[in-house]
Amino acid sequence: MAIEIVFNILIGLGVLFYLAQAIQLPTTDNPADVLGAGGFPIIIGIIALIGLVMITIHTIKEKRKVDIPMLNLRSIDGRMVFINVLVLAAYVGLLDVIGFVLATLIYLVIAPLSMGYSKPLLLAVFSGVTTAVMTVVFGMVFYVPLPRGVELFRDLSYLIY
Amino acid sequence: MDIIIQSLAAVYNPMTLLLVSIGVLFGMVCGALPGLSTSMAIILLLPFTYSMDPIMAIVLMVSCYVGGSSGGSISSILLKTPGTPEAVATTFDGYPMAQKGKAGEALGLAVTSSSFGTIFSAFVMLLASPMLAQAALSFQSAEYFGLGLIGLSCITSIGAKNQVKAVVSVMIGLMVGTIGIDSINGVERFAFEQPSLLNGINYISVMIGAFAVAEVYKNIEEYRHVDTSLRTNQKVQIKLLKFSEMAKMWSSFIRGSVIGTIIGIIPAAGGSIASLIAYGSEAQNENANPKFGEGNPRGIIAPECSHNAAVGGSMVPTLTLGIPGSPVAAVIMAAFLIIGITPGPMLLREQPIMLNAIFLALITAALLLFVGGRFVTSQFGHILKLPYPLLGSLIVTLGVVGAYSLKNSFYDVLIMFAFGLVGYFFDKFKYSNAAVILGLILGEIIENSLRKQIIIGDGSGMGFVTRPVSVLVLTVAVLTFLWPMMSRKLKKGKA
Repeated sequence: MAIEIVFNILIGLGVLFYLAQAIQLPTTDNPADVLGAGGFPIIIGIIALIGLVMITIHTIKEKRKVDIPMLNLRSIDGRMVFINVLVLAAYVGLLDVIGFVLATLIYLVIAPLSMGYSKPLLLAVFSGVTTAVMTVVFGMVFYVPLPRGVELFRDLSYLIY
Repeated sequence: MDIIIQSLAAVYNPMTLLLVSIGVLFGMVCGALPGLSTSMAIILLLPFTYSMDPIMAIVLMVSCYVGGSSGGSISSILLKTPGTPEAVATTFDGYPMAQKGKAGEALGLAVTSSSFGTIFSAFVMLLASPMLAQAALSFQSAEYFGLGLIGLSCITSIGAKNQVKAVVSVMIGLMVGTIGIDSINGVERFAFEQPSLLNGINYISVMIGAFAVAEVYKNIEEYRHVDTSLRTNQKVQIKLLKFSEMAKMWSSFIRGSVIGTIIGIIPAAGGSIASLIAYGSEAQNENANPKFGEGNPRGIIAPECSHNAAVGGSMVPTLTLGIPGSPVAAVIMAAFLIIGITPGPMLLREQPIMLNAIFLALITAALLLFVGGRFVTSQFGHILKLPYPLLGSLIVTLGVVGAYSLKNSFYDVLIMFAFGLVGYFFDKFKYSNAAVILGLILGEIIENSLRKQIIIGDGSGMGFVTRPVSVLVLTVAVLTFLWPMMSRKLKKGKA
């Protein structure tokens, strides 16, 4: 129950911040634009706040236990999800530095390993083939822009797609 | 009679039929792959059409439009990653059906419904184009506002377990939708001087994060404890509906197709709004078994019929008024201009064969969806047989490509990542990710049309209640919103 209340409070703080920003939005010169740029955000922000108060009261009354494995790092499942979030964050961070091909190749090895996959040969084939197919299909056939990375990685990417 | 014979000869010759097949298959592949869209598929085909006969060129693009619109449902059902924005609503019941080992059935429903919707709207386009186009022009801000509200009324259905959480979720979606430059008076809102936020937050990256990435996190927790043989052993092959099965659900087919055609005709509304409204109207039935959101077949039929019916619908204002009915129709209209044809009132008089040829292309493409669907689905079926650690990683990588390719921007990948976490926690605390997307998609149309109507009324909102079409649309919106609560009270009263 406590974790859900904390979650609701966090959303509530976000909505309050949004409302504070909305109130400060400049009014319009057009007298017919009664709502202005801030009117609609204020209306939806207030409705969201009222809803959150109702949800929180209901949560306190209900006393429902919610299991969030990601926040329980003692469990294997929790650790797996948490590590995968970090792996994805690293992948996202690396994309713009080392480019799509290398970052994806590394991600497709590390992510399955962190999920408990343990067949190295198959994993190597999977990551190599998947990266190659995606690069060819998206980057070369359909001309979908893929991240190129910086400096040397960028130059190298132009040799591929 | 001459025109009909000429039209048949123009479409039913080996070369044009080959182009229809290529268009459908190419559209379906692009629709099914997150990162490629129907518009992009048509743009990629455009250079090949320069030297073609105009009818062949348009037939190719229209077929691609039909294939692309239908293809998005394949990844929605199998991977919970909508390939196109139109396929968001298909995810709600399609993915749960696939989870229960009924992927083939779900795909069969999707293809049959897409085909039905396309054929339905093709007939409407042929028979009533000029009249409907004029009627669509009477839609102004007040009516668009009502249309947006009808779309929002979905939340009473998709958030049936906890209505208040669904309302809060939709408000959060609306709030995210207000980020960027205010399109009425150009004020910068909630962008914190970040150039990447000025254009707003694209709902596709939010959708990939909240649906696909959050689902991967959830499955990482669960896959070691659940029997995955249902997923890996099932042969993913489209199971087509028997006529008797279709007849049992005829109302969903008709409702979805009518909604899709009407919304398709309204300029700039498009298939994604049509499919959400059709889903919402279907999901009003609380006694459905299985429940909506848990794999109800009607939850696939309505949105699929609807967004493919929007294909034919969107061609109506494009051809007769020169006003595109959807973003994809705008690309097709540009193609018309490139090949030297000006869409508009004179088109039907000057090129009478064109309308008939497009009609025949739509019908043929709709029938070819079954062939294309079978091929694309079988390829996707192999992916499902992968062990989950490999499948999950592949889904995330596809999501990254899908998000990055939207604007060639790293920032969209960050949005996807952030909403992956938001979606995970929303799912745990029983908030509704679908409602967030709904708010995000409909936010712009609701706010802008509300304010525009008030500005037109010189600060007064009377326009909403003095325009007959607006009153009708708003009444439908209010009734759609209140109906689930009213029917619950009525039932309690009877008990």
